[in-house]
Amino acid sequence: MNQQVESYGQVVKQYIGNLPKGDGDWLSELRQKAAKRFAGLGFPHAKLETWKYTGIDGLLSQEFEVDDTSPEYAEHTVLQQFLQEPVSGRLVFVDGVYQADLSHCESAGVSIGSLHAAMVLADSTVLKKTGSLSGVGEHGFAAMNLATVHDGAVIHIAADTELKRPIELLHVTTRGAEGKALRSRHLIVVEAGTSANLVERYVALDDTTYFNNTVCELFIEEGAKLTHQRVQLESTQAYHMSDLHLELKANAHYHGIYAAIGAAWSRTSVHNRFSDQNANCELDGLYMADNGQLTDFHLDVDHAVPHCDSRENFRGVLHGAGKAVFDGLIQVREQAQKSNANLHNANLVLSRRAEVDTKPQLVILADDVQCSHGTTVGQLDPEAVYYLRSRGLSEREARRLLCLGFASEIIDRFESETLRLQLTEVIRQRIQG
Amino acid sequence: MLTIKNLTASVDGKEILKGIDLTVRAGEVHAIMGPNGSGKSTLAHILSGRDGYEVTGGEIVYKGQDLLSLETEVRAQAGIFLAMQYPVELPGVNNMTFLRESMNAIRRSRGEDEIDAVSFMKQVRKKAAQVKLDPKLLKRSVNAGFSGGEKKRNEILQMAMLEPYLAILDETDSGLDIDALRTVADGVNLLRSPERSMIVVTHYQRLLEYIEPDRVHVLVGGRIIRSGGKELALELEARGYSWLVEEAAA
Ligand SMILES: Nc1ncnc2c1ncn2[C@@H]1O[C@H](COP(=O)(O)OP(=O)(O)OP(=O)(O)O)[C@@H](O)[C@H]1O
Ligand SMILES: [Mg+2]
Repeated sequence: MNQQVESYGQVVKQYIGNLPKGDGDWLSELRQKAAKRFAGLGFPHAKLETWKYTGIDGLLSQEFEVDDTSPEYAEHTVLQQFLQEPVSGRLVFVDGVYQADLSHCESAGVSIGSLHAAMVLADSTVLKKTGSLSGVGEHGFAAMNLATVHDGAVIHIAADTELKRPIELLHVTTRGAEGKALRSRHLIVVEAGTSANLVERYVALDDTTYFNNTVCELFIEEGAKLTHQRVQLESTQAYHMSDLHLELKANAHYHGIYAAIGAAWSRTSVHNRFSDQNANCELDGLYMADNGQLTDFHLDVDHAVPHCDSRENFRGVLHGAGKAVFDGLIQVREQAQKSNANLHNANLVLSRRAEVDTKPQLVILADDVQCSHGTTVGQLDPEAVYYLRSRGLSEREARRLLCLGFASEIIDRFESETLRLQLTEVIRQRIQG
Repeated sequence: MLTIKNLTASVDGKEILKGIDLTVRAGEVHAIMGPNGSGKSTLAHILSGRDGYEVTGGEIVYKGQDLLSLETEVRAQAGIFLAMQYPVELPGVNNMTFLRESMNAIRRSRGEDEIDAVSFMKQVRKKAAQVKLDPKLLKRSVNAGFSGGEKKRNEILQMAMLEPYLAILDETDSGLDIDALRTVADGVNLLRSPERSMIVVTHYQRLLEYIEPDRVHVLVGGRIIRSGGKELALELEARGYSWLVEEAAA
């Protein structure tokens, strides 16, 4: 491991050293700090509680390259399938590189752009926000992300904007991503009184092996509301890591609806520390793992002030030799009276070889609060299978319908019908009965 | 339609059916009555093909086929339908989707085309109205949070949609108010035809006033101890089962 840290550290140093002056200067201080942090932290290991069940040996052994040569992809036409949905604005990344010609935004009050462009322009507001929620990285991968970040989305929605359609952040990978570590950071600011809907999608055109390392910082200002629909459908060979960091101001409302279906290995962590009163954070998530897949969700919600609500509801469907990790930590501090916190995790295990490690943790130090949590790990109800079969459905069809029923509690939360249909279809195909 | 010969069955090594003989011809309605725990639901589930019962002897022939060798879904596709005493809740499974998938599975098995969305909607609306099932329940998950009566109506709706040849109604009248009973009976009577047969399990003579049976059987302790015409049901209502049990023992 130490050797690996050293050689990766070398790569990071080299990368920073080779950056063109203009870009490098803008972020260089942060980059240097993050590089130092990485050298100090190294990679997470199994002795750390939050990484106990999420092995990274497979990921490290791939030796993904930090290489930003723009991908050569002539097939703009195949991308069209992802660009049909009407939106208020769209940002498209192909193999981690921003595509200005495919990105657009016509809505008043919304400005979009790439992090790379912000670097070139030395945009100081963007600089100030970058890393302000995430820090320089609480684990080695996050530190590496900041030290070597290449591009990302910068979305700003002005105060009191009412958007009818979602803004989409589309991340597509092609053959060009083979063997690469893609490093992006997204910065999303929803100003006071605004109500917005963000769709974030990770899709793959080819069965490529790559590492998508993403950090997303979301700022939801006073009284603003953001609905965040996030679908991870990476290539089945890919590694995907996302760290989401939220900041909710007073009366702000965030609703995250997540699906982690693709990738050979994926880890999504969501951090929210309530530091203003009367904010509301809702998280709904669906994960699925089949043969050769590991999917991991980490939640870290911290009620540090009174009068905030949080609700977390995650469901997992495991089949084949699929593996899932769910770790939901909700803390209610001593001073955080009148908090509401409800954490629920349900898992449907369809095969004896599948495995789930679930750890819901509700740490409550305040006394005047309403909190609940629950976890289930179970199989399909044989009575339900019989009932469906007695109506003419084969066992396989019966199981499929019941699995979709189980997943639908989360799928139905997606506001976009296209996403609901797409997820239903993917799950239908995945469940082999 | 259906011939059961000397059927014996046990659950967890405990013998529950101790030699059942029953013949139901096409177009006939048979009622089965009997005290709690006598084996009525067990018989119904064995006909429908639920796991967990061990048939230790006898045979069941349905439309010339050895029923016991058929998978549950194959029986349904062949026209057997059991309206269950305790319908199962299916959270997350939309009632309408469930009905359409069931119908199509049965149609496919018979080499017929799947029903198109428009005809399906028409049919489901019409039949839901017939059984007075609140159309809102069509959009909900199957039976999840339905009241007892709503679950029973939903069973009858499924029966009406799937148009079985042999319908077995296991205490579909239990827990229903008088109006609902009437509705359920109407639903059953609408399906009555010379090529359809029914087995109606009930504790109450009242249902049989609406659904007139050709035969009434009394099942006690895993055996049919008496069979007769519809007047037998009236007699049971007035006198209970004990006299029959005593007569059978004598
Ligand atoms: N899975 C099982 N395990 C153990 N015993 C069972 C099982 N299923 C049924 N039995 C027993 O078999 C007997 C017959 O049950 P069954 O449900 O067939 O009765 P029933 O005639 O339908 O009664 P009711 O009128 O109360 O509905 C009962 O004594 C019951 O406890
Ligand atoms: Mg019964």
